[in-house]
Amino acid sequence: MKKYAYYLSCINEAMTKEVDKSLEQWEKDLDLELVKLEQGTCCGGSNLDYVNPDEFLVVNGRNIALAEKLGLDMVTSCNTCLLSLRRAKDELDRSKEKREMVNGFLKREDLEYTGKSAVKHLLWVLNEDIGLEAIAKKVKNPLKEYKVASFYGCHILRPSSLLGVDDPKAPKSLDQLVDVLGAKPVKYKSSNQCCGFHTLLVAEDESLRIAAAALDDAIKSGADYIVTPCPLCHTVLDGYQKKALDKQGIKGSIPVLHLSQLVGLAFGYTQKELGINRHLVS
Amino acid sequence: MTMPEVKEEKREITFRVYRFNPQIDASPFYDEYPITVEKGITVLRALNYIKEHIEPRLSFRSFCQAGICGSCAMRINSVSKLACTTQVWDELAFADRENVILVEPIANLPVIRDLVVDMDSVVGKIEKYFGWVESKMPENQMGKKEFNIAEAEFKLYDAATDCILCASCISECTMTKANKEYITPAVLLKSYRMEADSRDAVHDKRLGVLVSDNGVWDCTHCYRCMEHCVKHIPIMEAIHHIREDAVQKRGLSDTPGAKHAAAFVKDIEKKGRLVESLLPIRTNGLSWTVKNMLPMAFKMTKKGKTPPPPFMVKAVPGIENLRSMLKELKSRGNSNHHK
Ligand code: SF4
Ligand code: SF4
Ligand code: FES
Repeated sequence: MKKYAYYLSCINEAMTKEVDKSLEQWEKDLDLELVKLEQGTCCGGSNLDYVNPDEFLVVNGRNIALAEKLGLDMVTSCNTCLLSLRRAKDELDRSKEKREMVNGFLKREDLEYTGKSAVKHLLWVLNEDIGLEAIAKKVKNPLKEYKVASFYGCHILRPSSLLGVDDPKAPKSLDQLVDVLGAKPVKYKSSNQCCGFHTLLVAEDESLRIAAAALDDAIKSGADYIVTPCPLCHTVLDGYQKKALDKQGIKGSIPVLHLSQLVGLAFGYTQKELGINRHLVS
Repeated sequence: MTMPEVKEEKREITFRVYRFNPQIDASPFYDEYPITVEKGITVLRALNYIKEHIEPRLSFRSFCQAGICGSCAMRINSVSKLACTTQVWDELAFADRENVILVEPIANLPVIRDLVVDMDSVVGKIEKYFGWVESKMPENQMGKKEFNIAEAEFKLYDAATDCILCASCISECTMTKANKEYITPAVLLKSYRMEADSRDAVHDKRLGVLVSDNGVWDCTHCYRCMEHCVKHIPIMEAIHHIREDAVQKRGLSDTPGAKHAAAFVKDIEKKGRLVESLLPIRTNGLSWTVKNMLPMAFKMTKKGKTPPPPFMVKAVPGIENLRSMLKELKSRGNSNHHK
């Protein structure tokens, strides 16, 4: 049994509920136990760190300290949460002064940040902790007829100095997983590009152009599906897909799956059980 | 004892090079130059060899040959980098075709010829965003008095001064690709370097331009610039510093970008969770939201995907503790550790 503290991401609590729903279906199949951190709070979504750097450290130091209290490493299913948490961890691990500042506050909740819990993405846990071999053994429904384009998203790749599992110029962890699940990984140029999510509300036209370029590339590569480990990327690539492609006059469409859904499909769960019917593009 | 014989490693490698002379060619094309290359040779030396021995018209820029002048940036196997510091041998691992190295001009700037791009727009942006220090020292004292800065201050922008304006980061930038008017990472970095300088007299004016359209709030946070910087400058830190400065000097309701950021902070303090349903309104106001979001909101509601309304977003258990911590933190004043 592998046990982790599971960080609840705002977006998965609201718009992309299907991420955690599908993960709940199959976690036991891999002997995985994810303890939900109900008291954890929003990571700041890559905004809090510059609006109020100290608050950013207190909030995320507290999030990680909740996992430390359980004696567990922390896992998240969102790229941006991953980067926020690791960014805070890196600052706290490097500075005694900042640790003391944060711990001064955390004392009141009987929490302490020490740095002993690792912060990982679900994709890394599958690849490294559980291992592709163990996953292969659980595949009941190899996705033989699926050609799948991996879309990694930025905050699981860059900056590599804070993440460092994949080479951002030639990432492969997601493609390897696609392969083990029996599907055919499709090579295309946009797999490590940005989806445009973080400027959707500030520079919508530009964001949609960014998304359309990646979608177009995936469609042209002949892929049947895109798979992504990030619910924010999913929100753009699925939710905004029609708007993005229409604006550029691009014909065609492509369904987008969450990482947890692709695993679920290969493990034999139904589209409904995995919440695939919740997507806008089918 | 005899030393093992060291054999010089040589290999035939094909350089597939982007060619384009807009005055003659209808569209760009690729030429392939197979040459024998010794281990230890840089891409720039290989290009020089091709120019000298095979195709004298092949155009590219270079000067220092030591990674200092920034003139030889190009895309090698689709990644922007300096030709003079890139080893041919190292590139073989990234080649799409065995022993073929793809060489193209950097992206997001117009091609003048082959691998040479037009940097005028970058210079124009440096002007637009006041990429220099306008001195606080009165004219009549210039040259008579030293204008010192503290070492601690210099440390803030020490890394930013390493920039050699090679434009690799511009070539890799997501937002520049989508919008050619975007300020670009190199110019953001330069502006930050000047903003942070205490000798500077035009700080507020510069900040005003930086927060306007096509400026600092348009960055998608993709970290491509920082990942690809040939001098390993943490460009995103500079972007964060400018935003932090903008929020402190101009407030949280200054621009859609600042309002967007403010929503996260307020929600964390209030509920511990983001109230996503209100984000569009808080960032851009009601009429923008109705016009831009309504059609999609209908579809999302049908799929049960709409984010819950504010009253449905339950506060995180134990939020009172966090609230009291953050309140005290505020009363102490931000230690402002970036500055
Ligand atoms: S982080 Fe911002 S400036 Fe840097 S490459 Fe991405 S969009 Fe461009
Ligand atoms: S920031 Fe780095 S990559 Fe960009 S122009 Fe300067 S040295 Fe080149
Ligand atoms: S020739 Fe000067 S940096 Fe390459």
